[in-house]
Amino acid sequence: MATKRITIDPITRLEGHGKIDIFLNEEGDVANTYFQIPELRGFERFCVGRPVEEMPLLTNRICGVCPEAHHMAAAKAGDAVYHVDPPSAAKKLRELLYMGFYFTDHTTHFYALGGPDFVMGPDAPVAERNILGVIRKVGLEIGSKVIQARHYGHSVVQMLGARQIHPATSVPGGVLKGLNEDERQEIEKIAQWAIEFAQFSLQLFNDLVLGNDQYVDLILGDIYTDRTHYMGLVDEQNRVNFYEGQISIVDPDGRRLGKYHPRDYRDWIAEHVEPWTYLKFPYLKQVGWKGFVDGNDSGVYMATPLSRLNAADGMATPLAQEKYEEFYAKLGGKPVHQRLATHWARLIELLYAAERMLELATDPEITSDDIRTVPTATPTEGVGTVEAPRGTLTHHYWTDERGILTKVNLIVGTTNNYAPITMSIKKAASNLIKKGTVVNEGLLNMIEMAFRAYDPCFGCATHSLPGQMPLEVTIHDADRQVVDVLKQFC
Amino acid sequence: MCSNNFADRQLDHPATTLLIGLGNPILGDDGIGWRVIEAVQSQITDPAVTVRRFSLGGLSLMEQMIGYQRVILVDSIQTSGGSCGEVMWFPLAALPNPSTGHSTAAHDTSLQTALEVGRNLGANLPEHITIVAIEAERVFDFSDELSPAVAAAIPEAVETVLKLLAEPVAAVF
Repeated sequence: MATKRITIDPITRLEGHGKIDIFLNEEGDVANTYFQIPELRGFERFCVGRPVEEMPLLTNRICGVCPEAHHMAAAKAGDAVYHVDPPSAAKKLRELLYMGFYFTDHTTHFYALGGPDFVMGPDAPVAERNILGVIRKVGLEIGSKVIQARHYGHSVVQMLGARQIHPATSVPGGVLKGLNEDERQEIEKIAQWAIEFAQFSLQLFNDLVLGNDQYVDLILGDIYTDRTHYMGLVDEQNRVNFYEGQISIVDPDGRRLGKYHPRDYRDWIAEHVEPWTYLKFPYLKQVGWKGFVDGNDSGVYMATPLSRLNAADGMATPLAQEKYEEFYAKLGGKPVHQRLATHWARLIELLYAAERMLELATDPEITSDDIRTVPTATPTEGVGTVEAPRGTLTHHYWTDERGILTKVNLIVGTTNNYAPITMSIKKAASNLIKKGTVVNEGLLNMIEMAFRAYDPCFGCATHSLPGQMPLEVTIHDADRQVVDVLKQFC
Repeated sequence: MCSNNFADRQLDHPATTLLIGLGNPILGDDGIGWRVIEAVQSQITDPAVTVRRFSLGGLSLMEQMIGYQRVILVDSIQTSGGSCGEVMWFPLAALPNPSTGHSTAAHDTSLQTALEVGRNLGANLPEHITIVAIEAERVFDFSDELSPAVAAAIPEAVETVLKLLAEPVAAVF
């Protein structure tokens, strides 16, 4: 076959995608910023008319980043629709799979995405501030551990999910795939390795970040601090839980406003609409929408690893609990409002996921054959909620008496954080644009750091080549004339 | 410790070529990679070829390639001035690698950077990665149907894949 040389010039999806507009006032300072993120259209409509038991498979496909989270939320919503309570072993098997996923996801974020800013330093040359730079700096051995960690996490998901990557195990009332003793032993070994790896990662963070005054100042500084409300799933003792429990809400002073069952989310959450974006901004109904502002009177809330720690009273495993206490001792008590501390919170959750994996893998019930309760009730309506790595994820389904979907509503993890991300971007921009002087060099990275802390998930929109999220910042003067455009990947 | 090592993946299978259909099968034209694979799969009998469909990118996609000598990856693309349904093929190196500057991808790095990471870490990764890309029209709307022009491109894409597979591993580029 003859060689065919083509110049490939892929365009990226800038329409409603990674697009930031900054408007200046008469003095040349930032008046407003607008951050548009992609919305994939029509998923709810696509689902209507399909059997609800297909949803754990179908919702896998919403997003290439967190299929396991959608699988779990869909599974729990399916249980609720059929009014069936899965056997204890089935819930544990689902949760064990989920810990394998969390371990992979949080590892990837720290080493490949959020970590480079700290490991390499926010002032490092852009060409170095990526995972390759991290590996060069921390060494090949650690780089291999990172990929090994991902491999182990994938192995756990595959063993329990009955399929690689996109799990196929959950059905209304339980799971289809149990665990045999050989697999259990393998996961137990993986979990022990995972605990060591998570501890190592926390030590690395301690040495490279907390041991560096410049980074600590950056974390504690005002640029990335907003005093918002926080949301997170907690167990009966108000400890962080990724798979089930009640949703805890705390105010900016750390006072618990209340806890609610996920099915009651509409009593607590309302959605604000802005004319400049298709996405809606969820906020706390009881507090109300006051705009993109922080404080006790603003219903803006955040749902991230930092939020989960803030909304809980502690961690459910011993080593993670120690780190939880260190975290608040170092950062001045609860709640912590500094967004960059989310990277540290994520590593504490990594340790929790690893410890919980070991607990579940050594639970005598985990190899039980009693893994499904066959539904017998007439299906109606149900809500399923889990904590996705990047925020509380809710699936709400309505069906007819045959279990055919008539309506679907999803509130995905990143959507919860749309308002706080917008606020963080404005703060970053305001810090770098003073009296019309734009610090071009740092602007993109400071903005990136703002939203990277939230671990926003736009993966669902980036399958097509080249698979990168473009970012375009347009700066307008007080007359709304464009004065500068900064781009990457565009 | 566990024998389950990421770098040992080459021991798990005899195949030398990995043919991947990439994309989201329920996101309109983004599903073209899967549809081409479905159309071509029955015509592939060579045990040296593994055929898979993925909705992955970056590190996860790189990890799937460990142990193979050659990868042919079928995906949708949107290019400046491209016409919907146009079929093109090129080496991975012909694509720009935007992540050399930043790791700004929302939740992953680019495939090129991921491959560099894997190679730095000693993973056995293919030298030859060929992209077969089909110009897409609609990639934001959930649907399991392709645009007519994209659907019409399936035979040409299948033919391209079969021709590439017929070439010796090292001869394409």
